[in-house]
Amino acid sequence: MEQPDINVVYNVKHQLPLIIYIGQYFFFTGLSAGSFVISVIATLLGRKEFKPIGKITAILAPILLIIAPLNLIADLEQPLRFWHLFLYYNWTSPITYGSFLLTAYPIMGIIYAIMVYTNRQTAAKILGILGIPLAISVHGYTGFILALAKARALWNTAAMPTIFLVSAMVSGIGLVVIVAAIRWKWFDKKATPEQREQDKRLILQLAQFMAYTIMLDLFLVVSDILVLLTAHSDALEAGMLILTGNFAPLFVGVEIILGALIPMVLVLGPTRKSLTAAVVASILVNIGVYAMRFVMVIGGQTIPLS
Amino acid sequence: MAEKRYAMVIDVRRCISCFACSVACKAEMKVPLEVFATWLKIVEKGQDPNAQRFVLPRLCNNCGNPICTRNCPTRATWQREDGIVLVDQHRCIGCKYCIASCPYDVRYVNPLKNLVQKCYWCHHRLDAGLVPACVETCPTRALTFGDVNDPKSEVSKLLATSATQVLKKEMQTEPFVYYIGADEVAMSNVEEEINYYTESTLIKIRI
Ligand code: SF4
Ligand code: SF4
Repeated sequence: MEQPDINVVYNVKHQLPLIIYIGQYFFFTGLSAGSFVISVIATLLGRKEFKPIGKITAILAPILLIIAPLNLIADLEQPLRFWHLFLYYNWTSPITYGSFLLTAYPIMGIIYAIMVYTNRQTAAKILGILGIPLAISVHGYTGFILALAKARALWNTAAMPTIFLVSAMVSGIGLVVIVAAIRWKWFDKKATPEQREQDKRLILQLAQFMAYTIMLDLFLVVSDILVLLTAHSDALEAGMLILTGNFAPLFVGVEIILGALIPMVLVLGPTRKSLTAAVVASILVNIGVYAMRFVMVIGGQTIPLS
Repeated sequence: MAEKRYAMVIDVRRCISCFACSVACKAEMKVPLEVFATWLKIVEKGQDPNAQRFVLPRLCNNCGNPICTRNCPTRATWQREDGIVLVDQHRCIGCKYCIASCPYDVRYVNPLKNLVQKCYWCHHRLDAGLVPACVETCPTRALTFGDVNDPKSEVSKLLATSATQVLKKEMQTEPFVYYIGADEVAMSNVEEEINYYTESTLIKIRI
């Protein structure tokens, strides 16, 4: 049967609630969680050559996590009331978990960084092990913020928290590669040539590790989309929105091709021995993950609800 | 007698799309320009001269299992015993998570006060023994309001004797706004996605 022409003559659409600040906030917490995990891995392995990376990342994590919530507060309609979050908590709301996690995690991160910088290895290891679940929940809960807002088909999937975690790892490692490469290039002159060679190898190894996390991320994204395309009509609409709709250039172009496939080729392909390629790949990866946050947060809301 | 549980039954067959409910709501609740707590969605099927119009009055469902209450981080959104979902205007921080979570797009940010608001079924009028302003105004009595737990109330009788529908039952929010004779197309989202790039709200700096 031919569908009759359908035109909406009048309807009210209210302004999209969550704007770019929220995506940006997800991006920063992701970076922070990713770099914290790398730092703890470096500390736990305890080998001397991992020290510089452990140190850089230990300081990056809390700094990024102090920037991140500022985005959240900027997004509030009543920023001066942000303390209501702590006074009038609601345990069924993921934002409440977040407000406590976002307080505990930077404090932990700062103490951990002090331990790393003052070379107290055992304390740093213990704090690191305790900190990893915290880092994971700080970022994992952001996935729950989207997943539990059940109105939006693009968000309301069980894969969302995991996708957020894995892409956090990807962008976090990317940032560490960039910072470590800057250090190697300009601030590492005192080291002996062998040591420099070793540092460079380490950075390249990190970049390869990043490529493997990208593969995991791609697998999750593809499975999420496949399920969206076979689920109910709203989910189909959400899937088509990012595959062929308004957000396709950002999703397919920037997130998948520019932010995942090209970096993977750069890091694992013929240029795998080049530091420049690793840095370019890391920058692209971060652009891709930022685009992913944007597509998820903003794209998810552009599907009309009525 | 059981506790009160308010509900609204909207007989769409009676609606003449006069927008009186929307106007009454604006006057009663001081709803600013740009935003609406209740409005009519009007859908046209077919081409002229055979086009048919279908209308659907829209408002907050004051759900039985409201996702907005569950997700509000400050408990600013809370539910009265009679089912009305309220937003505490002194407590709301404007995180807008409730707007993002509600499947019905009925909440809005009051642009003058920077606070989240919605339809409260005129709880101040109910407490004074009146019915909501929209129900009072509707010239065709398409809107009926009352207590579902009272078998003698008008809504209970309508619910018992007519075929009713609710919006997005699959969302598990248990809406308490029932429709009689609503069109299926008007009840679903038929529009293209909102083109975000042309909306001026991409980065709205608020001070
Ligand atoms: S319609 Fe939306 S705002 Fe109203 S009670 Fe239900 S979930 Fe909450
Ligand atoms: S905007 Fe206000 S009412 Fe809505 S979830 Fe946030 S604090 Fe609660």
